[in-house]
Amino acid sequence: MSGATLRFLLLTALGLAVFPFAIHPIGGYPGLATQICIMAIAAVALNLLLGEAGMLSYGQALFYGGGAYITAIILQHAMPQHPNLLLAVLGGIVCCTVAAAIIGGFVVRLYGIYFALLTLAFAQMGFFIVEQAKDWTNGDDGLQSIPDALLYVGPAGIDLQTPLPALDLGPFGNLSDVHLWYVFAALVLLLVLWFVRTLIGSQFGEVLAAIRENEDRSRMIGFVPQLYRFAAFVLAGALTGLAGGLRAIYDGSIAVESVGIDRSGSFVIYTVVGGVQTLLGPVVGTAVIMYLENVLSGVLAKFPQFPGWQWFEGLIFVAAIVFLPAGIVGTFKRMRKPDFAKVLAVKR
Amino acid sequence: MEALAQAILNGLVLGLIYVAIAVGLTIIFGTLRLVNFAHGAFFSVGAYVGLVVANKYGLIAGFVVAPIAVAVLAILLDRILLRPFYSREPTSQLLLTFGIALVIQESLRWIFGGTAQQYTLPPELTAPFTLGPLVYPAYRLAFALGVLVLLVIVWLFFARTNYGLIVRAGIRDRIMVQLLGGNITQASTVVFSLGAAIAGLVGAAASPIYSVEPTTGFDFLVPSFVVVVVGGLGSFWGAVLGGLLVGEVQSVMTLYYPPAANVIIYVLMALVLVIRPQGLLGESEIIRQ
Repeated sequence: MSGATLRFLLLTALGLAVFPFAIHPIGGYPGLATQICIMAIAAVALNLLLGEAGMLSYGQALFYGGGAYITAIILQHAMPQHPNLLLAVLGGIVCCTVAAAIIGGFVVRLYGIYFALLTLAFAQMGFFIVEQAKDWTNGDDGLQSIPDALLYVGPAGIDLQTPLPALDLGPFGNLSDVHLWYVFAALVLLLVLWFVRTLIGSQFGEVLAAIRENEDRSRMIGFVPQLYRFAAFVLAGALTGLAGGLRAIYDGSIAVESVGIDRSGSFVIYTVVGGVQTLLGPVVGTAVIMYLENVLSGVLAKFPQFPGWQWFEGLIFVAAIVFLPAGIVGTFKRMRKPDFAKVLAVKR
Repeated sequence: MEALAQAILNGLVLGLIYVAIAVGLTIIFGTLRLVNFAHGAFFSVGAYVGLVVANKYGLIAGFVVAPIAVAVLAILLDRILLRPFYSREPTSQLLLTFGIALVIQESLRWIFGGTAQQYTLPPELTAPFTLGPLVYPAYRLAFALGVLVLLVIVWLFFARTNYGLIVRAGIRDRIMVQLLGGNITQASTVVFSLGAAIAGLVGAAASPIYSVEPTTGFDFLVPSFVVVVVGGLGSFWGAVLGGLLVGEVQSVMTLYYPPAANVIIYVLMALVLVIRPQGLLGESEIIRQ
């Protein structure tokens, strides 16, 4: 492992360790931090498509909701006695991978807007299938009482609801506010980030970027662009399925909206607000938007004369596209490092 | 047999709504190279404005005010927000219109509340119309006829006017139109507001048939994307053919196997993509852009 990788891992781990306590004084809570870590996995997956491969998928909810439903169905029907978290989530990931491979076969041949519309359409198809398959999914009402799955590493299962030991942290709450769930979710997110970072740095990532920048040229060098686009799509589907499965178990319930169009859109919003083409952008975007959603919808519930949270979400999104096209992390990076292309342009 | 005829007529009405939205999407795409996610929001705004005005001053007033209001909204959005994005990459335009759609939709929810509303027709319009052995609501027939007339007018606009020439040429080659001196920026504003006005008018006209919610427009928009993909992005007749096909397939499926009605149109789309990726009447080079 190189020094830069080690530094990245340590710093990110430090940030994730501090995060649930840092949001305590400003109205956040550890449960929210856990949900943010889980959703950030899906946002990172979308950024792999949008940022690296230049594929704007508007249908990631299909894999998110699909992973959630399949994980829950496995837990409810296949292992009600010994609910095994990793096995159930793995089942969801496998199904999402297969689904992404089938859908990928259709969509990777298309580009830009066409690609976005098609992924959207396939997700809608999935939504209506989930809505109609009432025997398995409970239709519009969503699934409730998903068994509390244990994490088996070895013969003994770990209950992730176990709180950490008590330790007073003053204004930042208590260490025991945080359950093992957060530690687990944060570790998974860290692993995903490490994986994606390695992938982007690998030859695969470089070819993907080359295809994004100029597909014809990369084809002439001898690469098969559609193979790479396909691989990226399947990989993103699998990672998004992972996020869905974790969220289903963590929440203990699934709403049918988790396969819906707003869910697909929210991953796009998280990624764009945080910063496309930056590794940590999607994580920051997820944290900012989900935090604001939580705090603002609480405040707005007391003032019925104001519009709902989603109005503000839309406004933040539009403002981010117009004023911060590089996103939060991207803008921050640009401020730290002068853009050489711009410096050169000024000199000329 | 009568039920089937009924379903086919329902499919025609539904399909014509898709056609009207898809034609707007297609002409906007043709000139601006922009897939307008806010198009469904225009439909909703038209429906609500039509509803409010029609309740006060009558149905015709609603039909006049709704498209004008939506066109004005579209021009403002185009001037203030969209224009700086003309030169940006298509996906960022898509994101912007998605954001705009979200804000408009939530504004409607804020103003009118989230519950479904419906315009109550005066009794002389709800009367059933007898067509041989078939009985069908008169308003729906009038609606179908009205949309057909609207489509003919739009087609004449494109086939016979100078703006139409610029738009059609723009679908083929935007840069060449500019090089030849065609004012594609001005044409863009005209086309954008025209497409929006069509959506607004059809939204207002459809509000006595389908109840109106803030998300209604978006619910019609997604199948309209399917229509555009099936028919071929940038093709007027593709939008017409695709819209009627999707509407009919959905409606007939509702008759025979309701659970699959919403899924079948996406299966249809996947089939078309395998056989003809550019859409039934689309041109192959547009896909790559």
